Amino acid sequence: MKRVLAYVAWAAVALAAAFCLAGLALNRGEPINSIWLLLAASCIYLLGFRFYGKFIAARVMALNDQRATPAERLRDGVDFEPTNKWILLGHHFAAIAGPGPLVGPVLAAQFGYLPGTLWIILGAVLGGAVQDFVILFASMRRDGKSLGQMAREEIGRVGGFTALLTVLLIMIILLAVVALVVVNALKGSPWGTFTIVATMPIAVFMGLYLRYWRPGKVLECSVIGFVLVMASIFLGQTVSQSAALAPWFTLSGMALAIAIIVYGFFASALPVWLLLAPRGYLSTFVKLGVLLLLAAGILIVRPQLQLPAFTRFVDGNGPIFAGKIFPFCFITIACGAISGFHSLISSGTTPKMIAKEWHAWPVGYGSMLLEGFVAVMAMIAASVMQPGVFFAVNSPAGIVGTTPAAAAATISAWGFPVTPAEMQALARDVGEQTLFYRTGGAPSLALGMAHIFARGGGRALVGFWYHFAIMFEALFILTIVDAGTRVGRFMLQDLLGHVWAPLGRTSWMPGVIVFSAAIVGAWGYFLYQGVRDPLGGINSLWPLFGIANQLLAAIALCVATTILIKMHSARYLWITSIPLAWLLLVTFTAAWQKIFSPVPAIGFLAQADKLENALRTGAIAATKAVETRALIFNARLDAALCGIFLVLVTTILIDSVRVWIGILRGRREATVREAPFVLSQLRAEEL
Amino acid sequence: MTRLREIVRLLAGLLRELADESAYQRHLDRNGCQHSAGEWRRFSEARLSAKYSSPKCC
Repeated sequence: MKRVLAYVAWAAVALAAAFCLAGLALNRGEPINSIWLLLAASCIYLLGFRFYGKFIAARVMALNDQRATPAERLRDGVDFEPTNKWILLGHHFAAIAGPGPLVGPVLAAQFGYLPGTLWIILGAVLGGAVQDFVILFASMRRDGKSLGQMAREEIGRVGGFTALLTVLLIMIILLAVVALVVVNALKGSPWGTFTIVATMPIAVFMGLYLRYWRPGKVLECSVIGFVLVMASIFLGQTVSQSAALAPWFTLSGMALAIAIIVYGFFASALPVWLLLAPRGYLSTFVKLGVLLLLAAGILIVRPQLQLPAFTRFVDGNGPIFAGKIFPFCFITIACGAISGFHSLISSGTTPKMIAKEWHAWPVGYGSMLLEGFVAVMAMIAASVMQPGVFFAVNSPAGIVGTTPAAAAATISAWGFPVTPAEMQALARDVGEQTLFYRTGGAPSLALGMAHIFARGGGRALVGFWYHFAIMFEALFILTIVDAGTRVGRFMLQDLLGHVWAPLGRTSWMPGVIVFSAAIVGAWGYFLYQGVRDPLGGINSLWPLFGIANQLLAAIALCVATTILIKMHSARYLWITSIPLAWLLLVTFTAAWQKIFSPVPAIGFLAQADKLENALRTGAIAATKAVETRALIFNARLDAALCGIFLVLVTTILIDSVRVWIGILRGRREATVREAPFVLSQLRAEEL
Repeated sequence: MTRLREIVRLLAGLLRELADESAYQRHLDRNGCQHSAGEWRRFSEARLSAKYSSPKCC
């Protein structure tokens, strides 16, 4: 009877999923409620988790709770520690949830809400969650080894070295693009800038509090830090209205970029306990709290989606970034559906904390579905705005015109009516001077969130909620910038340590300074390039980041496919090879178009040629010659970087295919490098 | 009521894990030592140097 009821319940979930998807796909011309998106995502994620995830866990991985995990066998109370599965799920989710699933869907909303939402839902179930789960499983069976170590052992030395180099290059682009998101969010915003500047002394205070006054009281200290940050948001409004103080915090894009570069250097070189760690604790709690708040807000308010299912920009002429749905929607969504970076987390701390093998199913597969849910919420937040407002905020001046009147006229001519007066009123409501040209996704996400929160708590608070959302985004993005710079330094030292051993010593002060400067200089240059870009920077940097991130996922899926072939020959090859083939098709097409497309808005080389011709024919004034030459150099540099990514991933792919063919033809031994079976002694009550 | 208490226990556990307070408690238990400012600093330095040597997710 229980079994029959279960069948009926799952059939009802499947029907509800089909009904919601049909409702989304067939609805045209009138606003649709956001609850449809949430229901469609929830039902499909539930089905994916229960059936596809469980199939992989039971049949492919043959998870076995009798087998002791590394957390049990190598238990040291610090890294290796069996942890309750729900606590570990929250821990893993907190580690994988970054700005990508929030910003990517907002940018992809330029195609309308439907293409991005469908990819977030299906991509997470069939691609992202599979990647995370298989890598987590593989690492768990190999004593918690990292992706790089597994690539080296399973594929070969070339694969391992290439994976490390690829991750380092991706880190550089990632740090530049997320820093650019912060710059665009804080540009000309004294309220936002004051709040973020205030988080730095607050973090230092927290660091000193934890080290000298109340050692070990991290939660207590984080509560104090949170109260101080909230106070700084309130104080920010006063600062922004003060004739004496506001100019100090009204910074240009370039000034903000320099400030973030300097911050990145010091944060990387200073002791971790002083700045990075307290900011990290605070941002983790704020991030989880805000995501819960956003979910609750959407459920309570159930806002209507104002963006259409498809916009005219499916033709590839979008103002936020150029290019058609295929491949650019998939590249732009990135982490909300598949994220290569997750494979680093899934082969990092998490596999060392899994108590029982079956816990990998909710932790590995389930966490990615939660991340997909975050991406759906971001899509909803972007889609609740009037389309005219959405495009006015996200379009660069280089495309829509350099005055509010010109921008409003261009956007209205696209069929998305908006007026300068309407934008001015909105800017006044949120305490900003203007909301035009706020590219990067963060301001429009903050507007959408403020719109949802203010509906639940009164319109008078819309300015507070907007800056609360900006603070939340900037806080955890800066945490990625500071921690990422430090990790980038370690990676660079790791690579160069093979050339000369002392270069690999991470505590050697000259090395700390030189390599911190090198990493900051590398991402700082791309940030500088983005700030100088007349098209807003996001137009070229976000696709570059998306391509890089998806190529990292391709590397992870190469490793995962190699492991599955070693375990089962070709039987379950399709599980990882189908998402891998799709990713390769998408990323190689996108990278090829970004390098070689003859359309200057898409192709880096065409853009450089166009500028060079304009310079040669005198179409560009002599006073702008230096600036234009820099733009030409940057476009060629971006093309070269894109090409390097392709070469690196092709190297790993060829190396992997060589191994796969060898195993499948019986020429190579299929050695599964799992740790030997040890019977688990762990009792349920220990968790 | 029992279910609610269990949820609160798990939430508190998650917060303590994210805050490294659980790891610190395990460190004290394992090494049989008492909490002190010096012990926290020793634990914290080792913990944070490991934590901040791997990339954060985007």
